[in-house]
Amino acid sequence: MNAISSPVRFGALGAVMAGFILAASPAHADRIEKHFPVQSKPKIMVRNSSGRIQVKAWTKNEVLVAWTNATGKSVVETEAAGNRVEVSTLANEDGITADDSKTDFEITVPVESELSVRTDSGNVTVDSVHGDMTFDTVGANLQLSDVDGYMVVKTIDGSLLCTRCSGKLEANSISGNVQMIAPTLDSVRVQTSSGNILFDGSFLSRGIYIMKNFSGTIEVHFSSSDSFDVNANSLKGDVINQATFKPDTHGTPHPASKWGHGFVGTMNEGHAKVELSSFSGTIKILKRD
Amino acid sequence: MNMQCEQFEQLLEQQDEGALPKPALAHLETCEACRALSADFSAIHDMALELGNEEVAPPERVWISLRNQLEAERLILDPQAAPRNASHASSGWWSVFQRPAVAGAFLGLVLAAASTVGYMSNFAQTSVHSQLAIQQETSAVPAADSIFKEEVLTVGSDSIPGLQRQDTAVTASIRRNLQIVDNFIAICEKSVREQPDNQMAREYLYGAYQQKAELLATAMNRSMPGGLQ
Repeated sequence: MNAISSPVRFGALGAVMAGFILAASPAHADRIEKHFPVQSKPKIMVRNSSGRIQVKAWTKNEVLVAWTNATGKSVVETEAAGNRVEVSTLANEDGITADDSKTDFEITVPVESELSVRTDSGNVTVDSVHGDMTFDTVGANLQLSDVDGYMVVKTIDGSLLCTRCSGKLEANSISGNVQMIAPTLDSVRVQTSSGNILFDGSFLSRGIYIMKNFSGTIEVHFSSSDSFDVNANSLKGDVINQATFKPDTHGTPHPASKWGHGFVGTMNEGHAKVELSSFSGTIKILKRD
Repeated sequence: MNMQCEQFEQLLEQQDEGALPKPALAHLETCEACRALSADFSAIHDMALELGNEEVAPPERVWISLRNQLEAERLILDPQAAPRNASHASSGWWSVFQRPAVAGAFLGLVLAAASTVGYMSNFAQTSVHSQLAIQQETSAVPAADSIFKEEVLTVGSDSIPGLQRQDTAVTASIRRNLQIVDNFIAICEKSVREQPDNQMAREYLYGAYQQKAELLATAMNRSMPGGLQ
């Protein structure tokens, strides 16, 4: 017995204690999973107050909802009826804090799915889902990647990062930033008050791109082959333009506003329509590298 | 033909400046609900004209008008218990705003005020300019929106049974963003005062009011029991 060295004994003791701690930890910290068989294009609604929500796609006709709640002070209710799956987090007792109710979700859905997500805080990520989506958040940041559909985002000060998004995007924020990287969107209506807006991608033919803020920066990147009409105006701020526009040659010519700084012009055939508007922010129209 | 309430409401919505036509006046004499509605429209219009002053509190008559309407709709059941003086409204109004219908009515008024700003942009600009330039007397009555903001944002206090505790980060976020929007409103109002024919400034002011109404609605919505449902 004495042959066992102290470090080994301490190690064994530590392992036993760790085992006790793990065994004593509440079961509700475990990951819980539920599977819902669906047909094509299900609608998934998620209501959460605090915590991370990750949505990704797979090829199965099934929705997998997995969650963890560290404290057990909130419960997750699920409801499935046909192609509709609803997931809601509810307080398990009165007066619990946001930390108590924090619940992290991992949701896997068919590629063709509709999403409706409402949460206060915690990040939301959606990857490779094709379908209409609505997001309503207070401070949660939102990351959409390789999604396709009609996306409506409403947030107070959460940011939106949209990477390789296709379809239509409506986003409204007060102080959050909105970034569209390599988009193939044919309709963009983005408004933020004090946040910045970045559009780094091509303006599609027949596309309409309206970006508006109050005090942040609006930055759009163009390539020389892009074809769009532009109307850019900042009432109190500056407009920085690296493009060579010609006067509008089609339709009724609209003069630039007599208020503030701005211009109206056309690049190539003017197939897309771009409206950039700011109250006191700077508008940048920059050539893409 | 006697005018009906519905016709009167349509007329009121379409009515620009000036006196109401005789059939409408006749209807007003006999219809208490439409009288209250007409008074509300007048109050909202007056409020919009008072945008020239930063931090201007709504006139007492707005509170009275709102209260009358709420009492008429029996949304305030014990008018004697509630303080008549709006300066004490902080506690009295809370119980009112816990009712979504009433809070919605308030937001309706905010939106109506925003609509009025848009509507005002159609007025002769010189007329609007002169009206906005009038220095309104300030009131000791606390601003309606500040009371509403505070009440909404204090939800989650343990003193209010039945309501879930609101996430402090969410409350802080809403407060911070209300401040941002309030600042924008002040800046836009200043621009409109300086350049009354600047349509762009008006549109931004209108948008800022809409944002404020939506923000308050969000705050209220998140605060209500089951607000996340």
